[in-house]
Amino acid sequence: MAVKKRIFGYAAILTLVLFILIYSFNVILDQKREESLLDRVDDLFSDYEELQAILLLSDVAQDEKMTCLALESSLVYLNRIWETGRKIDTYQSLNEEFLNDPAYAKMKQKFNRGEIMYFSMLKKLKDECNVDKTVIQYFYKRPEECGNCDAQSFVLTDINKELNEELTIFAFDANIGGPAVGLLTTYYNMTEYPCMVIEEDMYCGLHNKDQLIGILCRYGNLSVCS
Amino acid sequence: MAIYTIFVYVVWFVAIYFTIVLLLLILSNRKQLYDSPVLDESKPLPKVSIVVPAYNEEKKIAESIESLKTVDYPQELLEIIVVNDGSTDRTAEVVSRYKGVPNLIFIDNKDNKGKAARLNQGISRARGEFVACMDADSQVQPDIIKKTVPYFRDPKTSAVTVTVKVNNPKRFMEKVIEIEYIIGLSLFLKALSFLNSVHVTPGPFSIYRKSVLKKIGGFDETSITEDLEIAHRLQRYDYKIASCLTTYVRTIIPESMRGLYRQRRRWYSGALITFWQYRDMAFRKKAGVFGVFLPYIYTVMVLGLILFLSSSYLGLTDMFHNLSLYAHTNFNFFEHFSLKDIDPLSVSVFGVFGLSSIVSVFLLAFIGVKLTGQKIRSKAKGLMGFWLLFFIYQVFWISAFFNVLFRREVKWR
Repeated sequence: MAVKKRIFGYAAILTLVLFILIYSFNVILDQKREESLLDRVDDLFSDYEELQAILLLSDVAQDEKMTCLALESSLVYLNRIWETGRKIDTYQSLNEEFLNDPAYAKMKQKFNRGEIMYFSMLKKLKDECNVDKTVIQYFYKRPEECGNCDAQSFVLTDINKELNEELTIFAFDANIGGPAVGLLTTYYNMTEYPCMVIEEDMYCGLHNKDQLIGILCRYGNLSVCS
Repeated sequence: MAIYTIFVYVVWFVAIYFTIVLLLLILSNRKQLYDSPVLDESKPLPKVSIVVPAYNEEKKIAESIESLKTVDYPQELLEIIVVNDGSTDRTAEVVSRYKGVPNLIFIDNKDNKGKAARLNQGISRARGEFVACMDADSQVQPDIIKKTVPYFRDPKTSAVTVTVKVNNPKRFMEKVIEIEYIIGLSLFLKALSFLNSVHVTPGPFSIYRKSVLKKIGGFDETSITEDLEIAHRLQRYDYKIASCLTTYVRTIIPESMRGLYRQRRRWYSGALITFWQYRDMAFRKKAGVFGVFLPYIYTVMVLGLILFLSSSYLGLTDMFHNLSLYAHTNFNFFEHFSLKDIDPLSVSVFGVFGLSSIVSVFLLAFIGVKLTGQKIRSKAKGLMGFWLLFFIYQVFWISAFFNVLFRREVKWR
């Protein structure tokens, strides 16, 4: 019986070791997720700083054409903005602790701030350099407060994949807020979610893919419009 | 931390602990797995009776009797008792063809009383010191008596089980169940025998000491799983049940999923009823490891079932939610899918725990097949599908719970 008792003990130790290994693996994954998101947010800011530097240079050089060319080539982060926002939300849903992690809330706030800066820069570029990009500002809240936000995000993800080169979507989490996002929602007098602002026009409520493409085609000659 | 997360951790822990105990028991005793005591033929051999109850077995009974005729044991010391349980087909006619076999006794009942009653009837007629009970749709190996009888040298041994194999598995499900039998009805029972905790003496073939059967009152005629019930009773009386892996019995399994469902509903309903009947043995010191094993295995099963139900609910809710999302994009499931979308960082902790459970079950099956000396390649299909059983059987367990809780009648056949 001594041998048998030892087996129960060994099994308990092995199970515990296995449990700790899997749990540690999950902790490492959490860290990697956080690092990956931080890297992406940092990229957004460094890209923004690059743009700012070029703008300053354009003031000195006084050559508008050269500045526009330089700015357009520097808009590398533009195609990753939506993807990064979705990734933050996906990783958030994977871990409850991550959801309530203040560092995560701060990161999202920082990302939203970066989006607004980027959005302002893009607006300036559109006005001064005739950049041909349709811009959507998308405002959403958590699923508990906004029944259709999940569906709208899903539709936008799909459209973003299809029109990645022609479209830029800035997603603003109204729950996380921050003064800049608050300012935008007040400016647009937003009371309903989900809500999209396309070229200063507001489209609130859920719009499916066909409806949204119909709306987008009013603002630009996108490849899906023909 | 959410209740669901803690629950997943607990279920994972108890289930994996059990799997590891089994693996360690099998691996640490691997040299003894195929150690059978040898029959001392220089001494007088005991008389052995084989009781074969039969109900509507016209297609299989001849094969069973033919296999019994090949049993390597002095014919004058071996008697075969076939008990007809009021078959409505040609079973009686088929058995009557064997009238010339000198050691075959045929009890032709016209009424149907059930397997346990017919086993008891056969045992009461048996003159052997040991009585083997065998299903009429099974076939034995010639050495089955010579391999099992020596275990009774230990006076505490009351029964011996043997390896149960699926007869000629061809279809995918049969190959999967073949693996289940190798693990569940052979290696698992052998591992439990090291702990004196064998909980079933499988119906296809098990051999008993007749004096013990008489002492404990024979098979329970009200039980729908008489082979499970009698093993529990033997444990209650503190008898040993040995397990012999060096010989085997071949048995058939249900041909359809419906048949499998019916069989398992009976098995699992019977298991629940038997557990409730013997609940007083739980944690009883006298019951030894069996007293701990019994509640532990049912706890794992119930927790697993709750986890299965809750995970199925969450999974289905998620699936319908995703489908409703796709409705907004004209169900373009793979239109924009690319391998770049697969993000290893989006693996959830539940996914890792789930995967580790499947791996552990697969590992157990793999080691089991290896230890039984069979080629992995020949059992590849069964091994691949083995883990699927755990999902299918949850449905059968739910049905069994429903039957027992609402006292619905489950017939032996």
